[in-house]
Amino acid sequence: MQAEKKNRVLTIGMAVLLFVLSVCCWLKKADAYSASERRALAQCPRLTADAVWSGSFMDAFDDYAADQFPFRDRFRSGKAAAVTGLFAQKDYNGLYMEDGYICRMEYPLKEEMLKNTADHISRLYERYMKDTDVSVYISVVPDKNYFLARKHGALSMNYDALTGILYSSVMETVENCEYIDLFPLLSIEDYYRTDAHWRQEKLTDVAAALAEAMGTAVCADYEVMKLEQPFYGVYYGQLALPAEPDTICYLTSSALKNCTVTGYGTGKAKPLELYDLKKAEGRDAYELFLSGSQPFIIIERADADTQKELVLFRDSFGSSLAPLLVEGYKKITVVDTRYLSPELLGDLLTFGDQDVLFLYSTTLVNNSLSLR
Amino acid sequence: MLFSGITFLYYFLPLFLLVYFLTPKQFRNGVLLTASLIFYAWKEPQNVIWLILLALAGYGFGLGLAWLRGSRQSRRLLVLSVCICAAPLVFFKYADFFISGFHAVTGWPLPYISQTLPAGISFYTFQMIGYLADVYRGEAAAQKNPVRFAAYAAMFPQLIAGPIVRYTDIALQLSCRTLGFDRAASGIERFVVGLAKKVLLADVLGELCAKFQASDDRSVLFYWLYAAAFTLRIYFDFSGYSDMAIGLGRLLGFDFKENFNYPYISRSITEFWRRWHISLGSWFRDYVYIPLGGNRVSLGRWLGNVSLVWILTGFWHGASWNFIVWGLFFALLLIAEKCFLRKYLERHPIVSHLYVLFFVIVGFVIFQAGDLGEAVRYLRAMFGAGGLSLVSEEFLYAIRSYGMVLLLAAAASTPLGKAVLASVKRKEKGEQLIHLAEPAAAAVLLLLSTAYLVDGSFSPFLYFRF
Repeated sequence: MQAEKKNRVLTIGMAVLLFVLSVCCWLKKADAYSASERRALAQCPRLTADAVWSGSFMDAFDDYAADQFPFRDRFRSGKAAAVTGLFAQKDYNGLYMEDGYICRMEYPLKEEMLKNTADHISRLYERYMKDTDVSVYISVVPDKNYFLARKHGALSMNYDALTGILYSSVMETVENCEYIDLFPLLSIEDYYRTDAHWRQEKLTDVAAALAEAMGTAVCADYEVMKLEQPFYGVYYGQLALPAEPDTICYLTSSALKNCTVTGYGTGKAKPLELYDLKKAEGRDAYELFLSGSQPFIIIERADADTQKELVLFRDSFGSSLAPLLVEGYKKITVVDTRYLSPELLGDLLTFGDQDVLFLYSTTLVNNSLSLR
Repeated sequence: MLFSGITFLYYFLPLFLLVYFLTPKQFRNGVLLTASLIFYAWKEPQNVIWLILLALAGYGFGLGLAWLRGSRQSRRLLVLSVCICAAPLVFFKYADFFISGFHAVTGWPLPYISQTLPAGISFYTFQMIGYLADVYRGEAAAQKNPVRFAAYAAMFPQLIAGPIVRYTDIALQLSCRTLGFDRAASGIERFVVGLAKKVLLADVLGELCAKFQASDDRSVLFYWLYAAAFTLRIYFDFSGYSDMAIGLGRLLGFDFKENFNYPYISRSITEFWRRWHISLGSWFRDYVYIPLGGNRVSLGRWLGNVSLVWILTGFWHGASWNFIVWGLFFALLLIAEKCFLRKYLERHPIVSHLYVLFFVIVGFVIFQAGDLGEAVRYLRAMFGAGGLSLVSEEFLYAIRSYGMVLLLAAAASTPLGKAVLASVKRKEKGEQLIHLAEPAAAAVLLLLSTAYLVDGSFSPFLYFRF
């Protein structure tokens, strides 16, 4: 190609590219929500003299222009491929892929957050449980980085230090608290490839170990149900790299079918399902388990052959685990203090001789500002 | 508005180019001026008034200086006009520094001004002062057409972060510009290369710098890695902006002079400053150093001239002691080279390269620090006086994660790519191959940069704050 022809091709080609994308920007209808990033997208700001003079219109327009860019998800995938492929960076926005698993690099260990978690537990104990006969247990769910960091060469927390600091801090106020170590029971295969959470169908050993430590027993005889639609977890869209979707399975049994689930999200009792199949069709299929973010749930089993009760303080990992503990108890109260103020707990629950299990993921205890 | 932003690339620029090229030639300066004011006002609507006032002042004083040329009053008018044009810069940029100094010396508490620095004020003020000096010296005719003059004063391609364009360099093009596919193609290529330098390299290196600054796991080598990353980042950030400015200028029919010429391959600090921020260096040379007598004076006076120029150069970058020390640091090196080092450096090419890189990196640590105390802390840590270990986990991870980017950036800061292209061109059908690849490469770089911007966070150019 001659230089003159090249100049013509380059100028016209680039002009066409620029103008086509520009026209798409102007004409594209604004999306309200990004399913892949699971967040609301910026909308075109209202043009007012005040907004222009203060500069807020321009700032908001810049956000809108980036959020509503045509083929945004494809461009994001292109960037992720360049970052991890061309530039060989080890992570993309703190996420990386190893052995087909997408993983967030949970790092560094934040001692002040661990203390905050411990203080939260201690405050609950002091307020509601101190002069009762409850048995208190603490357990921590490792995040995926625990299993994959070394292989990928990613940064990783000292998990022994994490559990050690948390447990010793809690022990300063909570007498006879027992730590149940789940780390040896889990492996990366027990987690979804594209999501942060663990897979319920792989948790029967974990449930059995927890039940045994708390002096009860659960059976491992479940029927495995499988959702037909593929599950693209929270990390899938965030990493924006091609990855195999997961399949969500849930476990059921006659005991589970016979239990009643009641939520108290708005203060009033509302019947819920152990497995909410409508939620499974929503933005986050993991919300299938106990209907997702619920502050206070009671699971009761009328035909139970035990009078034992469990109070489970949990994050989202507890949603899929709680059903597997049902057979060991007559009543399980599932509390998420990210969404329920501890001040209100006394109105909903009286502590007596229950087992109390604080089950939190390492991600939450290391980023515990959301605990109220 | 940021060149490296979706708003500029896909809303402002196409619309501007469409209107600009559809407008008859005699009205294009008006289009350029209007677009430039919108461009500037996009982020700082309140500060556009300073740009307009400065342009008005420059226009009026220019005519006045031309009218009084040769008379005794012209010198007074020059001094007056320079003082008036520099007043907003002094007020916004230096007032708090002087108030702080006054307070430190006298103990009298004066209220601080605490005003946000209008973006690019140092650049367009220097451009205006240069114009007035050129008119005073008779090196440029005063521009009588107010739209042409304002288009020069506010021209958006180089308004905010340079290069500092001399009026004499584009005076003819303000009235008559030639356009064509060759200019357009080279302008587009230059712009896209600059965009890629900023978005794909500078911003990624900026991430590494930010991670270092947020780290609680620093080590001696992590400090050095940070310093090297910042040295590369500032080059790609600033030279990327200059490339975009030069490219846009070319597209519109203007020829801006080069602002960078592979500074990190220099073999002396003297050479480095001939290759780094060329427009600022030549501004200080022509409007400060030479009028002071340059090197045709006594040794003592020359030492004073060099020191003054470099103190001013440092001070131009920011109203902080670390910038003054940074300027003096280079003054000392330049004096040392002139007096005794140059011959040694000329005989030892490897040592001379290492010498330049070492002092440039150390210089940028001083430059980047928030204040002099921080600069000292960083330098102490780099030289093992901070009680830190040699390596840390986060340093090793940073090397693993950013190693490729650092290597690419280091290679791209040398003429290696240019040499490879030249050698391919020399081969049979090599030139044809390059001609085929160039449009595709430009499109890929634009799309890849867009991908980074669509999913990126706000990242202004480092030189905006100057």
